[in-house]
Amino acid sequence: MAKWGMVIDLDKCTGCQACTTACSMENNRLPGENWQDVLFYHEGTYPNVKLMWFPRPCMHCENPSCVSVCPTKATYKDPHGGFVLMDWNRCIGCKYCQVACPYGVRFYVDEKAPVQPDIRTVFPSADGRVWDPPYRGPQDDPGRGIGIQPHGVVSKCTFCYHRVSKAPAGIADLDEDIPALKEYVPACVRTCAPKARFFGDLDNPESTVNKLIADKSGVRLKDETGNKPQVYYLSGGAAASVPSLRSMTPSDPA
Amino acid sequence: MNTVKTKQTGILSVALIGFLVSAGLVLDNLAQYGHAALNTNNLGISWGFPIVVYDYFLLTSTGLAMLASLAIVFGGETFRPVIKRAVWLALAGLAGGVAVLFLELGHPLRALWAIPFSFAFSSPLYWKVMCVSFYVLSLLILMARMLKSHWTIAELRINGIVTLVLALGVTSIAGVVYGSQSFRPFWASGDIPIAFIFESLLGGLAFIFFFTYLAYAFNPAALPTGVKRLFTGPLPRLLALAIFVHLLFVLARMASGLYGNLEGLQVWHHVATSPLFYAEILLGLVLPLVLLMRPGTRNNPWVQMLASFLVMNALLVSRYEYILGGQLVPMFKGAWAPALLSYFPSPTEWLMLLIAIFLSNTFNALGELFLGLSSEGDPSARVEPEPLGAQWGEGGERLAS
Repeated sequence: MAKWGMVIDLDKCTGCQACTTACSMENNRLPGENWQDVLFYHEGTYPNVKLMWFPRPCMHCENPSCVSVCPTKATYKDPHGGFVLMDWNRCIGCKYCQVACPYGVRFYVDEKAPVQPDIRTVFPSADGRVWDPPYRGPQDDPGRGIGIQPHGVVSKCTFCYHRVSKAPAGIADLDEDIPALKEYVPACVRTCAPKARFFGDLDNPESTVNKLIADKSGVRLKDETGNKPQVYYLSGGAAASVPSLRSMTPSDPA
Repeated sequence: MNTVKTKQTGILSVALIGFLVSAGLVLDNLAQYGHAALNTNNLGISWGFPIVVYDYFLLTSTGLAMLASLAIVFGGETFRPVIKRAVWLALAGLAGGVAVLFLELGHPLRALWAIPFSFAFSSPLYWKVMCVSFYVLSLLILMARMLKSHWTIAELRINGIVTLVLALGVTSIAGVVYGSQSFRPFWASGDIPIAFIFESLLGGLAFIFFFTYLAYAFNPAALPTGVKRLFTGPLPRLLALAIFVHLLFVLARMASGLYGNLEGLQVWHHVATSPLFYAEILLGLVLPLVLLMRPGTRNNPWVQMLASFLVMNALLVSRYEYILGGQLVPMFKGAWAPALLSYFPSPTEWLMLLIAIFLSNTFNALGELFLGLSSEGDPSARVEPEPLGAQWGEGGERLAS
């Protein structure tokens, strides 16, 4: 089985936020509930200020702390593909997973609306869901956290499970430039105009994602937490890079 | 009906009305706005004031249970006059805390079956819930056995050991929930469970002082002899010691935090400059400590009432600062969260505190009225404690027993 992973080339990312928009449209997210966010910040002080940005999806970690802390096993690691998913039928809304996620990529959808008007009251739902958007994607799988969520649960990026899981077996890369595969590519990857995102099988040594990680010294975010993300970042491509692994586990002893 | 009973009926009425009003307002707000009535957010403040209130009441409950069960396990006859009250207060406090937790959870009813049947052994919360369930059961059994008029400490010993182990378990796991968050250095530390145990013991001691005085309508002259002996003997000294230990934990963490460079510890500069922190340390801990250390004031009932009241408030502030402090530094800087996050409880969240206070007091007043919490059990089974120093000679040598 594939272990799907993503590579984001920070040298190519323009911060256009098309990924954020595509994700929101694909998955019917609420304003501010950015499963795929681009964080803008500045470094330095005037007059030497630099505007920076950082694209941040869920890392779909190999050893996810959100999964290990969940008291109901509502969030789980899918063995067929390595997705970290939510079962909205089991979630009790304790938000422990939010607290335990070092990447801040989980959302409790009953919080105050960050932007007005509150779209949940503009498009209220009659069937117990959080809202009823005028355009609604066909996918609906509460057991995997896909579709419009009910009240009182946590939501998160699914790596577009509803697309990726339908990909033909044995595929090394899901590349939007290959017409036969483009429908299986996650929305954020498919829409990325500068092609800063790559999606493929981390267990397949021939995959483009593996080659990029090896050739350009891909690093994982906050690797010291031991979560072992399946999202890698490329930056600069020099041989010198941030050490990618500090934790030692039985499966990865050094 | 005597004066004390009349006043307890008054407390029950006020508490019940307060509970009904606050619960009505909270339920109305939640029905209208859902959890948007709380001031938590998706920027990083996931656990707000309701969790502070829940943990505060939970840890106070385990502190009271520890106090009662330690006395039972180690044959603390001197403590006999407060054992039954401590056990009931532990249950009453827990009821208040759990009520608030249920209002905070997204699906509280689902939690009742989803947690026990998930067998999520890797989750501290799973173990905490399981431990709390058995802890409640153990307290209920203990209370039931003390309902008969002639209970003795010796016959409660096994119950006491079980209760003590479970109370320590609940408190330690509550510490692990926070202490294991390695990427939140404000929380993370291996000794947090130990700090929680001392903090809950402090809460238990403060509560037993305050609520024992409340049981006698704050009339020191009405206290029975056994209670007077305890309140002028070891209990105020224990309270002072517990304040001192808690203070050490807080100040040691603050010193490490202020001098540490680790990302996330900078919140200490925010905490250590807030008036609330100074109120907690100076008014809530140092002042009671000084009052209880001075022989002239230690045994004064009014000083004890004041000290216990101040400590109860300081512990709530302490819990607030700890739980919120660990979340104020955003995971990533950026447009959504350019600096430290800010949080202040919403009116609904303040009302949740009132729910916990009034519900706990309702249960407590019911216990005072109908369960005879002042009962000291079988008087013939009492082993009178030896006067301090009785087993020592004038020259300090130990006398043969």
